[in-house]
Amino acid sequence: MKSTVKVLAVAAAAATTVLLAGCGGHSNAGTSGDTGSKEIRVYADGDVNVQSVWEKTIIPGFQQANPGYTVKLTFDLHGQNSTTQLSKLGAAVKTNRDFGFDLIDSGIVTSAASSGLLAKPDAAKLPNLSTVSPDLLTPVNGMAIPYRGTSVALAYNTKFVQTPPKTLDDLLAWIKANPGKFTYNSPNSGGSGGAFVTTVVDKYVPADARAKMATTYDQADEKYWDQGLAALKDLGPSVYQHTYPNGNQAVLDLLAKETIWVCPVWVDQSLTAKAQGTLPSTIALTQISNPSFTGSGAYLGVPKNDTRLVAVHKLINYVLTVPVQTEIVDVMSGFPVIDMTKLPGTEQAKFGGMSNKTFRQGYQSNVSNDLNQQWQAKVP
Amino acid sequence: MRRSPIRGLLMVSPPIVLIAVFVGFPVVAAVLYTFGHIGGTNSVIAAIGQRQHVSHGGLGTAAAYREVLTDQQVLRDLLVTVLVTVITVAVVLLLAGGVALYLRLSGGRIAKFLSGLAVVPMFIPVVIGGYAIRQFYATDGLFRTLAHHLGWSDAPTLSYTMGAITIGEIWVSVPFGVLLLASGFAAVPDGQIEAARDVGASLTRTVFSVILPMSRAPIVIVTTFTAISVMGSFTIPYMTGPSAPNMLGVTMTNYFVSFNQPQQAQVMAVVVFAAAALIGSAYVWANVRSGRTSGVSS
Repeated sequence: MKSTVKVLAVAAAAATTVLLAGCGGHSNAGTSGDTGSKEIRVYADGDVNVQSVWEKTIIPGFQQANPGYTVKLTFDLHGQNSTTQLSKLGAAVKTNRDFGFDLIDSGIVTSAASSGLLAKPDAAKLPNLSTVSPDLLTPVNGMAIPYRGTSVALAYNTKFVQTPPKTLDDLLAWIKANPGKFTYNSPNSGGSGGAFVTTVVDKYVPADARAKMATTYDQADEKYWDQGLAALKDLGPSVYQHTYPNGNQAVLDLLAKETIWVCPVWVDQSLTAKAQGTLPSTIALTQISNPSFTGSGAYLGVPKNDTRLVAVHKLINYVLTVPVQTEIVDVMSGFPVIDMTKLPGTEQAKFGGMSNKTFRQGYQSNVSNDLNQQWQAKVP
Repeated sequence: MRRSPIRGLLMVSPPIVLIAVFVGFPVVAAVLYTFGHIGGTNSVIAAIGQRQHVSHGGLGTAAAYREVLTDQQVLRDLLVTVLVTVITVAVVLLLAGGVALYLRLSGGRIAKFLSGLAVVPMFIPVVIGGYAIRQFYATDGLFRTLAHHLGWSDAPTLSYTMGAITIGEIWVSVPFGVLLLASGFAAVPDGQIEAARDVGASLTRTVFSVILPMSRAPIVIVTTFTAISVMGSFTIPYMTGPSAPNMLGVTMTNYFVSFNQPQQAQVMAVVVFAAAALIGSAYVWANVRSGRTSGVSS
C-alpha cells in the first residue's frame, strides 16, 4: 500500500508540473511585429486531397524555392477540431497571445474574418494578390486570401439521362417527373446539398437582398426564404426515399450505385472520384443556370496578432504562383483563383467551360447557418 | 490492515481534482452561459455564437431555455430520443438477460458460444457498425434482397429511419448488458437455485423469485448505463437516421456546428445532463445497495 501512495504522489506532482507548464507556456508571446522566425506553422483541415496538396506540392516546393524556411503542417482531417480552433483563435487574439499557428486553411477562416480575428492582407507585401479575381475577396471583406476554388455542379448518369436539365426550373421539373432518382445531402452536413438548397431559395430572393446576404448578416432578409423552403418541402416525396443523407460522400455513393441518377456534387470531389474509379465513367457534370449552383473559394487566414509575417507573406505569394495553381488543378481538380487563361491548355480544358469567375457566391456564414436551421425545421 | 482516513482521502483526491478542474469548471461555465452570462470564460464563445440570449445582471435570463423548450422541432427530437432510449433499454434487457440466463442455467457449449457472439459488437468500431447497418437495410441492401428472394417483395427500407437507429443502438448496447448480467447471474449461488427447485419451484418461478431479485443491482446498472449512453449517442443516429426528426445528440451537434447557436446547444446539453443525472442516481442507489448486501450481487 505504501508504494501505491508513493506512485500516486509522484504522478500527482508530475501532473501539476505539466499543468503549470501548460499555463505559463505562452506568456512571453504576444509582442506584435516580426520575430524573424523562418518557421511557418500551418493549420489546415479538409479531406485527404487537401492534405496531399499541402504535403506533396506546396510545402516541398516552397521549401525548395526558399532555402532556410520551413513549414510545419498540422492537418485536421474533416475539420474535426476546427470549431475548437476557432475558439482558440478568438481567445488568442483577445488576450494577445500566440495562437500557435501562423496560417489557417480551413472553413473557419470565413467566420474568423467576419469576427475580426484575422490580419488584413497587405497588398504591398503580397504582389501576387493582384492576379486574384476581386470577386473572390468580397465574401471575406478582403480579410483573407483565396487560394483555390470549388463549385457545385449537377452530376448525371449518361446511361439513364441523355439530356440533363439546363436551368433550375428544368431540374425541379425533372425531379418531379422522375421520382426517387434524385437526392441531396442535408445542407448542414455538406456543401453540395447546401448549394442546392441555397440555389432553390435564391430563386425567390430579390437580387439586391441576395447581394447583401452574401456579405452581411441581417435576419430581416430571411423572410424571402419561405417560398423556396416551401418548394423544397414540396419536392420531398420525389426525393429518393424521402431522405437527405448526411455528407457529400453519402450522395456520391448513391450515385455510384446507380440508385439515383442526378444529384448536386462538388466539382473537385466528383472529378477526383471519377479519376480514381469510385464513380463510374458514365457520370458527367454540367452547370445549371437561373440561378446556377453556388461555389466558393478556400481561404487562407493569418491571425490578427501573428508575429511571423515576413515568412507567411512569402508562403502566400508562393501559393498564388502559376505553377502551384496549375498543380492544384491537376492534383485535386480545384479551380484556380488566378486568371484561368494563364494556365496551360490541358488544365483549362479540365473544367469544360465552367468558369472560375462566375462562381455564384454562397451566403455569409451566419446567414447560411440560419438557412441550415430553417431547412432542418421546415423541409424534412 | 487498519485504514487511515487521510490516506483514503489522498488516494481519491487526484481523480476528484482532475474532474473538478477539467470537467467541473467547464460545466459550471457552460451552465452560466445558458442563463445568458457571457462574460469571463464565456466571452470567446459569445463573440462567435448567433442568436444568443444575454442576461442583463441578476441571476440571468431563462430566455434560451424558453426558446429551446418551446421549439416544436426540439420537442419532437426529445420525444424521439426518449422513445428510442426506452425501446433500446427494454430490448437490451430482454436479449442480454435471455443470453445471460441461458448461460447461467444451461452453461453448455451453445450457451458459451452465444454469450461470446453477443460480445462481438464491442470489438467493432461504432462507425463501421453504423455504416454496415445503413448498407444492410438500404433499398438495395442484403436485407431487402434476401426478403425479395424469399417472396417478400415489399420489405421495408429501414436505412434512414428510426428503425435503423434503434437496431444500431441495440447492436452497440447488447455486449455490455450480456457481460454485466452474465456476471451478475453467475454470482447467484447454486445452492439457492437448487433449494428453490427442491421445494418444487418451476424454472420460471426460480428465475423470477430467486435469480432476478438477487441480481437487482446489475440489472439497474445495465438499465442506467444503456439509457445514458443511448440518450447521448451521436454516431449511430447521425449515420443511420433520418434528417428529421432525429435524436438530441445529432440536434445538439447541428445547433453547435451547423447553426452556430452554442447557447441553444448547451441548453439541450443541460437538459440531457439533468435527465442523465436522474437516471444516474438510480445507479448510485444500486451501488450503495450492492455495497450493503455485498457478496451476493456485486
